[in-house]
Amino acid sequence: MTRVIAITGKGGTGKTAIAALLIRYLTKGNKVVLAIDADPDTNLPETLGCEAETGIGDMREFMLNERDNLPPDINKETIFESKIYEVLIEMPGYDLLVMGRPEGSGCYCYANNLLRGIMDRLVKNYDVVIIDTAAGLEHFSRKIIRDVDDLIVVTDGSRRGLRTGERIRELVGELEANVKNIYVIANKVTDANKDTISETARELKLELIGAVEVDEMIQERDLVGTPLFDLPDDSVAVREIENIAKKLKL
Amino acid sequence: MADEFPFEISPMFEGERVRKDGMYVELAGPKSKGFELVKSVEMDEIEDGKFTLIGPDLSTMEEGSRHPIAMIYRIAGELVEQDLEAIVERRNHDFQNYIQGVMHLNQRYDIWIRISKDAMKKGLNSFEQIAKATMMLFKNELPFIEKIEATYITDLAEVEKELDGAIATYQARDERTRDLHDEDVDVFYGCTLCQSFAPTNVCVVTPDRISLCGAINWFDGRAAAKVDPEGPQFAIEKGEIIDAVGGEYSGVNDLAKSLSNGEYDRIKIHSFFEFPHTSCGCFEVVGFYIPEVDGIGWVDRDFTGTAPNGLPFSTMAGQTGGGKQIVGFLGIGINYFRSPKFIEVDGGWNRVVWMPKHLKDKVLADIPEGIVDKVATEEDASDLESLKAFLIEKKHPILERWVEEEEDEAIEETATAAPTIMQMPAQTMMAGAPMAMPAGFGAGGSGVKIILKNAKVSIDRIIIKKIE
Repeated sequence: MTRVIAITGKGGTGKTAIAALLIRYLTKGNKVVLAIDADPDTNLPETLGCEAETGIGDMREFMLNERDNLPPDINKETIFESKIYEVLIEMPGYDLLVMGRPEGSGCYCYANNLLRGIMDRLVKNYDVVIIDTAAGLEHFSRKIIRDVDDLIVVTDGSRRGLRTGERIRELVGELEANVKNIYVIANKVTDANKDTISETARELKLELIGAVEVDEMIQERDLVGTPLFDLPDDSVAVREIENIAKKLKL
Repeated sequence: MADEFPFEISPMFEGERVRKDGMYVELAGPKSKGFELVKSVEMDEIEDGKFTLIGPDLSTMEEGSRHPIAMIYRIAGELVEQDLEAIVERRNHDFQNYIQGVMHLNQRYDIWIRISKDAMKKGLNSFEQIAKATMMLFKNELPFIEKIEATYITDLAEVEKELDGAIATYQARDERTRDLHDEDVDVFYGCTLCQSFAPTNVCVVTPDRISLCGAINWFDGRAAAKVDPEGPQFAIEKGEIIDAVGGEYSGVNDLAKSLSNGEYDRIKIHSFFEFPHTSCGCFEVVGFYIPEVDGIGWVDRDFTGTAPNGLPFSTMAGQTGGGKQIVGFLGIGINYFRSPKFIEVDGGWNRVVWMPKHLKDKVLADIPEGIVDKVATEEDASDLESLKAFLIEKKHPILERWVEEEEDEAIEETATAAPTIMQMPAQTMMAGAPMAMPAGFGAGGSGVKIILKNAKVSIDRIIIKKIE
């Protein structure tokens, strides 16, 4: 069975870093991972150290633009599927799929319906799927990815960050998204805010499964823009992610 | 059954992806060339089960390498005919995916195949094994194939040599499918994908009418309904023909009634004015009746200005959508402009008076020659006055209706025998619109709709007039 994990949170909390480090952990443990960059504002490819020129959004536009030019009786699903496979970036141990451009003004019902079927089949090929997604959970409302085992909200030390967690939990309910568990990871934690974070989480009844301390190695790499994928094993963040992964039974 | 093969064969391997890490070879695909083709031949032209390979075999291919491939199957049998080639050919995708360790994507000259390292380890070493397994599946699953022979080509020059012929075959097939019309089939397809926000909308997709969103043609409906008959696309038996030109069928009416919860019980697929098709909200283009010229204008989503009736797309879309039969507005997919039955009953292209230039350019080749210069765009007409002037200047066939109209009006004035609303002539009423208001009544032409349900009213004559 494929385990589907979505990582979300408000901008700047470091959810992409957490996603990248989880992928790093999983591939080191010989798990085959599908990484999905589902946040138009994120940079998962760079954080992992690969390049993405195009994504599902572009292929969906291709299908929309070309539909009247395709042979009338051609099977559009197999064409679309092949196009998705074309934009899948194949790396050692994991594949990366970028959602890319959002929908335009036309009707996407049919294209998304095809996409749902294609994604259902694709996802089954992996041990774990890690989705880096915006807090609005757009792709879940569209049910492009139907079932999520664990939704992880990454928050910084602020009360606002944790509030986002609360709102996301409400949103999941409203969207009737099929999410089994919701967890919180506190990121960029310092000695000064550590206790307040766990208190606030308790108050909001959010399950805190890890607190990643400020990691100087990540800060340095963020400044220069180098990938986080090859961080050394003794990095503070890498070690905490390992703990979190174990708690998640990954 | 499959003991002779060093791999398992089962539909459960469909969707199995061969990743780069686990790939032994890649065949055809976006970075190479190839195609698959099924040809029907006479029984004595082929030898059943024979396999020919032109070019290097799997065993001599280097791990991680990429090669072109062409797969040509010749089939014969009493029931085998040319029209079946495409259907049979499409199954190659299914059957090869049944083979564990083989990933087959796409179709025709876009095929993309990968063979896994695991499969090679288990004893796969020749294309012959794959071809034999595929041929076995063809014969088992499609029993009308009595004989089948396969030729695979992995030599680039040879693939290229055969490719042109294959493309010509595909094109000839496409010509034939484009020539399929409503009268050639017994089944249409319905789609309820949009019922989530337009609960009474039922999209009817026929060979001559694409879905309103422009995404689903008759063949797409057929493919989807076959895979999941209970899914959002499903078959509609045509039933009895009630109106061949307007496109009314008993089967469609029956379904309309049940799927719209009784909201409406008649649909004329190709009619603008009488029991028109409902519109969800997804339509690419909305058609609008312009009573002042008795013509129809069309405006699409990308047009940001206002049509000659003073309304932008968004306003008209709001009136059209929601899964109701709105006489005077009609949502369509762009490809419907290319249909030979395009609002045929209402005069077809001769009734079209205005459309945005970019939309007109898109379908230019499909507009009948005599009318193409007579359809105004925003460059020719921005309001009713300039539209009228343009139509007169270009001698648009709609002018003939104006003459008829004047004659009709003269008749009507003298008529004393109670004409009901249903019998009023088209120019004052949008014919057949039950209880729709005369166009131009009220401000801005935004329209009023009165629906009388279960009413038993007997009226000799209704006169609705603008207050002078």
